Amino acid sequence: MMNNVFLKYTCLLLLLLGCLMSACTPENESGLSGQLLFQDQPLATAQLEIYLKADKDRSVQPFAVTTTDAEGRYQVSLPEGSYFVIGKKRETTDDGRTRMLMAESPANPHQVVDGIAPVASFNLREMGREGLPVADDQTGVSGLITYQGEPVSRAFIYIYTETDAVLTGPSSGEAVQADTEGRFTINLPVGRYSLVARKRADGSRSGALAPGDLNATYPGNPVEIRSGEILALNDFALTTVDAEVHAQRQADGVFTKTETLLRGQVVDADDLPVSDVYVFAYLDSRMVGKPVHMSVPTGADGNFSLFLSDGGTYYIGARSAFGGPLEPGEWVGTFDGQADHSVIVTRGANDDLGMIIVKEFW
Amino acid sequence: MKFSLLIALTFFFATSAAALVVDQDTVWDGQHSFSEDVQVLPGATLTVTPGSQLYFSGTRLEVSGRLVAEGAELSGENWEGLRLKGVDSTTRISDCVIKGAATGIFVQGGAPLLEGLTLFANKVGIEVRGKAAGKVANCRFTKNLKVGLFIKDDSTTSVVDCRFEGNLRYGAYLYHARPQMFQGNMFVNNDTGLMIAYHGTDPEVLNNRFEKNKIAVQVDRAARPVLRGNLLLGNQTGFYIYRRSDPLVTGNRIEENGVGLLVAYSSYPEIESNDFLNNEMALKLEFQSSSWEAKRGADARAGETSARSAFAGKGMRSVSEDDRRAKRLDGMVNAGNNWWGREGTLELASIGSDGNPSFIHDGRDQTTFIDEGEEYPLDKVAHFPWRKGPATEIKR
Repeated sequence: MMNNVFLKYTCLLLLLLGCLMSACTPENESGLSGQLLFQDQPLATAQLEIYLKADKDRSVQPFAVTTTDAEGRYQVSLPEGSYFVIGKKRETTDDGRTRMLMAESPANPHQVVDGIAPVASFNLREMGREGLPVADDQTGVSGLITYQGEPVSRAFIYIYTETDAVLTGPSSGEAVQADTEGRFTINLPVGRYSLVARKRADGSRSGALAPGDLNATYPGNPVEIRSGEILALNDFALTTVDAEVHAQRQADGVFTKTETLLRGQVVDADDLPVSDVYVFAYLDSRMVGKPVHMSVPTGADGNFSLFLSDGGTYYIGARSAFGGPLEPGEWVGTFDGQADHSVIVTRGANDDLGMIIVKEFW
Repeated sequence: MKFSLLIALTFFFATSAAALVVDQDTVWDGQHSFSEDVQVLPGATLTVTPGSQLYFSGTRLEVSGRLVAEGAELSGENWEGLRLKGVDSTTRISDCVIKGAATGIFVQGGAPLLEGLTLFANKVGIEVRGKAAGKVANCRFTKNLKVGLFIKDDSTTSVVDCRFEGNLRYGAYLYHARPQMFQGNMFVNNDTGLMIAYHGTDPEVLNNRFEKNKIAVQVDRAARPVLRGNLLLGNQTGFYIYRRSDPLVTGNRIEENGVGLLVAYSSYPEIESNDFLNNEMALKLEFQSSSWEAKRGADARAGETSARSAFAGKGMRSVSEDDRRAKRLDGMVNAGNNWWGREGTLELASIGSDGNPSFIHDGRDQTTFIDEGEEYPLDKVAHFPWRKGPATEIKR
C-alpha cells in the first residue's frame, strides 16, 4: 500500500517537473513583441507598459514593463491572457524642452495564447499638458462640410486618434466647428486620425444623435497628417440619420440584452425609488469616460437591469444623464457594496446588486 | 407655396411604434391626444389655435421647425413636455398653460419667444440650454416640483416680468448662464427664489421683487452677478452670498427679512448703497474667515471637486483657484455707504465707526468658529461710512 502511494506521488512529481521544464524552454515562451515608432521612425529606449485592463488607472502599477532597444523593438514574456499595451517615452528635445510621448496600441487588447504574439508597430504622439496631442500650426487638415452638394454651416468635426476604436463619444481633441460657409481648418500633430462630422438639429456639440441630424464618417479615414502640411480633404458630405437605422443601432448598442445581468433598484436617501436614472458599468475604477455598458433608464419603481457582455470586475455608478459634466438637478450615486464601487460578475450570472442610493446634485 | 392642413377635432393616435411626424404646415384646433412622440420637422410650421387642448401620454412634442401656439393647454400623464430644438424667434408660444410634464418646455439652442405662459406642477417648468437666446416674458411659474425656470449652458435668454410662486426648490436657477435681461420679476413663497450659481454666472439682476421666500436670492460657488435695485421683503433670508461668491450688491431695499444679507464661506461681496430696514438681523457673517480661506479654502474646494468628479467626470469648465481668488483677504467684508434705517443710523452715531452695531453679526459678536478642530477668526464688517438717508427710491 505504502509503496503504491510512494510510486504514485513520485510519478506525479516527475510529470510535474517535466511539464515545468518543458514550459521553461524558449520554444514554449509566450508573450508579446513589436516595435514602437515616433513619426514613423523607430523609438529607442521607450517604455512599454502592459496592463490587464483598458483605460489604465494611473494609480495601478502595470502588470509588466520593458524597454525598447535601439531599433525600437521589444519583447515581453507573459502568461496566457488578454493585455493592453501602452508605449511611453519622456525625453528632452534638442532645444531643451521636455516632452512626453505616449500612445496605446490601436489593436488593444492583445491575446496571448501560446508563443510570442506580434503587436503591430504604432506611433507614439507628443502629449500636451492636458494629455492631448500637441498641435502644430503649420500641420493639420482642412476641408468643406456639405449636405446634398451644398455647404453646411457650423457643423462640428471630431478628431479620433488611432486608438479610438469606436468613432463615437468624446473625441481625443476638441471638436472644431466649421464656419458659416462649411469650411474648417484643424491644426494637428503628425499622425493618423479618423474624422467624423456631425450637425445636430439643435446645434449642440455633443450628445446622442437623433433621427434627422446630419452625420458622416470621412470616407478616406484614417487620414495621414505629415509635418508642415495642411492636408486638404475632398468634400466631406453629411447624410441624414435615418430613423429606422437609428432605432436598430440603439437596440444593438449598449442596451443589448445578454446572458450576464446585474439587477437592482435605484433609490434616494429615504429608500424611495428614483426613476429616469441610468446605471453604468465601467472597467476602470476611476469611472470616467465612456462606460462599457449602461441600462435603460429606471422606471417609476426604480428597478434596473444592466446587461454585461461578459463576466469580470465592473465598477458601477448611476446617474440621470449620460455624457458631459454633472449638472444641478441630476441624480448621481454609486454602487457601494464595495468601497471602490466594484462588483465581480461571473459569465452568465443574474445577480441582484440591491439598492443603489442616488442623491440630487444642486 | 405653403398650405395649411386643418386637422379635425379630437384625434386619437393609438399606435406608439413611431413618432407622428409633422413635415408640412399644419394647424391643430380643439382636443388632441397623443400616445406617441410628435415631431415637427425643419421647414414645417405647427400652429395651435386658442382653446386647443393637447394631451400626451408618456410622450412629447418636439419641434425642430416652427411652433406658433396661443391660448392652448398642453398636459399629459407622465409626459416629457415640449422640446424646442434650435428654433428661432418665429417660434412663439403665448398665453398657454403647460402642466404636469417632466420639463414643461425644454429649449435647446435657438431663440424662441415664450410669453404669458403658465407653467404649473411640472418637475421643471422651462429649461433653457445650448447657448439659447430668446425671451421669457410675463410667464407664471407655479408649484413646479424642482425648478420653475432653469437657464444653463451660456444661454442669454431674457427673463422679464415673470412671476415665480410656490416652486418647491428654486423659482429660477441660473447655471453658467447670463440672461441678457433679468428684470421686473416677482418671486413669492419659493424655497429659494433665485439661485445664481457657478463661476461665469454673472448677470445683472435688476428691479425684481422677492417676498416671503425661504431664501430670496442665493449666490453660490464663485458666481459674481450684479444685484441691483431689487426689493427683498419678508423673506427668511434675503441675499445669501455663499462659497466664494463676490457679487456687487447695490441699490437694493432689504426689508423685514429674518436675515437681510448672509455672507458665508469666503465670500467677499461689495455691499453699497442699499437700504436695510427692519430686518431681524441686517447683515450676518457665518463661517466666513480670510484666515480659513487662506489656509483651507483651496484644499476644501479641491476635495469637493475630486469627490464630484469621481463618478461624474471632469467638469466642462472647471474653475481654477485663480478664477476664485479673492481680491484681498484682510478679514473685512465691505458694507460701507449703506442706509441702516433711522434707528440704525442713530445707533451708529452713538457707537462710532469702530463700534459693534446690534444689527450686524460678525467677528465683533463671535470672535471665532471651529472647522475640523481648528479655530478661525470670524471676519468683520466694514460699515463705515454709513448713509444719512435712504439710498434707493424703491417702494414696497
